[in-house]
Amino acid sequence: MKNKINLFLVEYAINALLRRGWKHFFIVSIFTFLIFLLSSILFISDAIKLELNSTLNLLPEITLQRFVGGKQSDVPIERMDALLDIEGVSRAIPRVWGYYYFKPAGVNFSVVGIDAYEPQYKEALQSIVDTVDVKALENKHGMIVGEGVKKVLSENYYKDFFNFVTNDGRWEKVHIAGVFHSAISLEANDMILLPKKIAYEIFGMDSNHATDIVVKVSNPKEIPMVVSKINLLYPDMRTITKDDIRVSYQNIFDYKSGFFLSLFVVSAFTFFIIVYDKLSGLSAEEKKEIGILKAVGWSMDDIIKEKFYESFILSVCAFILGLCISLFFVYGLHAPLLRDIFIGYSNLKPSFDLPFSVDGGMLSLLFLLSVPIYIGATLIPTWRASILDADEVMR
Amino acid sequence: MTMTPEIIALLMLDALFLFFAIIAFVLSVRIFVKWNRHATTPVQYALEKQSYLVSVVIKYIFVLKIPLFLFFIFTCDKLSNIITGAMCAAGVVNSVEFGLYLTLFKIINLYLFGFWLIVNRADMQEEKLPFTKLKFLLFSLFFFPLVAEIGLEISFFASLNISKIVSCCGTLFSAASTSYLALLFSVDSTVIVGIFYFFAALVGVAYFLKNRLVFIFANGMFAIFAIISLIVFFSTYVYELPTHNCPFCLLQKEYYGIGYLMYSTLFIGTFFGMCGGILEELTRRSDVSFFTISIIFDGLYCVIVTLYPVVYYLNNGVWL
Amino acid sequence: MIVLKDIRKVYATPSEEVIALDHVSLHIKAGQFCVLKGASGSGKSTILSLIAGLSKPNSGEVIVDGKQISKLPDTFSANFRRAHIGFIFQKFHLIPTLSVKENIIVPLIPENLTQEHMEERAQSAMEKFSIAHKASSIVKYLSGGEQQRVAIARALVNQPKIILADEPTANLDAKLSLELIAIFEMLKSEGVSIIVATHDPLFFELACVDSLIEMKNGAIIA
Repeated sequence: MKNKINLFLVEYAINALLRRGWKHFFIVSIFTFLIFLLSSILFISDAIKLELNSTLNLLPEITLQRFVGGKQSDVPIERMDALLDIEGVSRAIPRVWGYYYFKPAGVNFSVVGIDAYEPQYKEALQSIVDTVDVKALENKHGMIVGEGVKKVLSENYYKDFFNFVTNDGRWEKVHIAGVFHSAISLEANDMILLPKKIAYEIFGMDSNHATDIVVKVSNPKEIPMVVSKINLLYPDMRTITKDDIRVSYQNIFDYKSGFFLSLFVVSAFTFFIIVYDKLSGLSAEEKKEIGILKAVGWSMDDIIKEKFYESFILSVCAFILGLCISLFFVYGLHAPLLRDIFIGYSNLKPSFDLPFSVDGGMLSLLFLLSVPIYIGATLIPTWRASILDADEVMR
Repeated sequence: MTMTPEIIALLMLDALFLFFAIIAFVLSVRIFVKWNRHATTPVQYALEKQSYLVSVVIKYIFVLKIPLFLFFIFTCDKLSNIITGAMCAAGVVNSVEFGLYLTLFKIINLYLFGFWLIVNRADMQEEKLPFTKLKFLLFSLFFFPLVAEIGLEISFFASLNISKIVSCCGTLFSAASTSYLALLFSVDSTVIVGIFYFFAALVGVAYFLKNRLVFIFANGMFAIFAIISLIVFFSTYVYELPTHNCPFCLLQKEYYGIGYLMYSTLFIGTFFGMCGGILEELTRRSDVSFFTISIIFDGLYCVIVTLYPVVYYLNNGVWL
Repeated sequence: MIVLKDIRKVYATPSEEVIALDHVSLHIKAGQFCVLKGASGSGKSTILSLIAGLSKPNSGEVIVDGKQISKLPDTFSANFRRAHIGFIFQKFHLIPTLSVKENIIVPLIPENLTQEHMEERAQSAMEKFSIAHKASSIVKYLSGGEQQRVAIARALVNQPKIILADEPTANLDAKLSLELIAIFEMLKSEGVSIIVATHDPLFFELACVDSLIEMKNGAIIA
């Protein structure tokens, strides 16, 4: 404990590593690759989780959907009044929205209806709506679209208008009045905002119905109570709380990253065996060197220490290297290939930036998953080397 | 069963520890039974070499156990986001009946392994290796709490249940709690704080009188009452909330992770005070540096916990 | 003073047991130049490694400078070796990819000295054997004579009282062999004990050799 670190021993260890670079090259590259893979997966899943959570926080407390015969159907707007009467409900907002499948590009747009006099169900949306004059939009028969939508449309030569095909097969021509940017890019990218009237037209919906209703509850502790009251009032309505969504997201991502981690455990174990095997086989040259060291007065302890420094330096270098590559891969290149595995909905969605979410906890997790395993694998070979008989050099 | 990356890391290292600990255990028993310093047989030479493997393995486990302990708490803290009702690690630890025992085993094992290492060190410093038999006997015994800890940890993570609603630290560490923890709150906090400072003073006195036995005893009591008084009294000043008595929330970012500093100084101080003391009792040699380290860290701990109420009083002019 | 009392040393190979030393006793006074003579396999090298504490006898005692080296735990025997014994091997046994200076300080590394102290000891050892001008050359590119001087400097960097040499002239030409013997003579005059295990006749008629011990099949015959 009080021993100072012997810098000469460290220097010797570095020298020894460099001298036998070829022997270590193979191990370092596998190890670096493993760390790279591991940290990329964890970075991505953490970043997506963070992104989803920040989206989630803006969601309404309760979403109400109506189910008829097990299928979701539209909610009559007159139910609003009864909902607002429930104590604890601060606000209820009917939403008109849906997916519009755009065949030529094979993507889904989220089409959201907005109203000049109605507040939006979340702030991000509200801030977008605030920038446009909905009344003017209605008059112009226009819409504003997310960046991803704009891109897809212009690729298909829709520069300033788009023809929706309505449910009854008519064409509904809507002008593109503007493009919006959004901080919460995960879902804003594929969004189209247009006046409710047009939305009803496109979806062929009754104008006294809504797709669903979102309910705001000012005191989170009252949510269970409000939910039970709604269930009693309208048995055909399904209530989805923010917590339900959060847990299901969490489960999906833990499942996905858990799947990769179990693969990682298997490869880590294989790696353990490889390192063990590789280091157990000492060349005649190395045996001779250990013999020399012992003869000139190194103890077993000194040799164990020297070998430990070697493996520590090697594994930490591989760790840092793997980490840097994966940081660049995930945040510099936006993780091509790997990201798709984690996101995997329509190909319009994924074009968001992964928010940077690396902290001390993450780094120590990655460290603990890698370096101790490498060093553990070297323990027995190191000891084996240190007990070699020095007589080897005498012959 | 939940499989977050943190849990997988902990379980994987547990498996590694178990593997090495079993090797070390088998070797330890062998060395303990067959060790004969005067023999010049190949068996004895082989045992001498094997004893190095055991000490390497134990060093490896111990050195990792320290950060892993903090990592375990960190993991529980992180799990508290997922588990309904838990606000910090305390709720998660307590969501399983034996959670508290697991934590206790972890702490005890840190002391035991640390103690083994200083015995090992003392042993290697003498030509006659006077404690070799003792240290391998010790490890043969220490192996069992280690296995218990690993077993508990595995079943702890296996029985963690996300959907189960658990209590938060507010109900666990309060007089209303039904557990034995409530007993602590039935005693007036000034009495407990008094006992804490009494043992702190006793540590100091024993240091100046160079009385080893008193020093060991005082350090042991100091460790226990430091934790109790931290829960009952000092933590409220860290949180600046008279009803918040949690020993785990201290580790959170909101309080600048002050808990990590508190617990490490307390551990280092009492570890060297107790284990260093016992070691000196064994070697019959006094190594002043152990006691000096101990007194410095014990003192540092006292200063940190004392500062909280004092600063609070100076700022607000009242006690909580 | 080096004493071997009734030493038995057996090497166990998987197939058979080889008796390397069979009840050997030996007494070498401090400051003596002693030559162990015999064919290879006669047990000379085993004696050297026993004296250095590198291997342990199956029975008997090895006492070097009053210390029973065969009973010391590894850390202590290593410390002892470092403080008292310098080794010169057949073919020098330098670490070929290190520089001259790096090779010379290898025995000093476990001591964890300060930078200046280390520098000073390496410098004085290099100067003594006039190799200082090559301090940062890699040893594998040096000539045989230079490599020999590096090996000797390494053996002497700790200022040991005992020099053990195992077939030191086996790979040397006549000129270098004589140079080495001159160095041994110089060391002897400084009071260092020298034990050489060899079958090179060059050593048998030297005036400075105090005792010539002949070995055969693990026993002393003369």
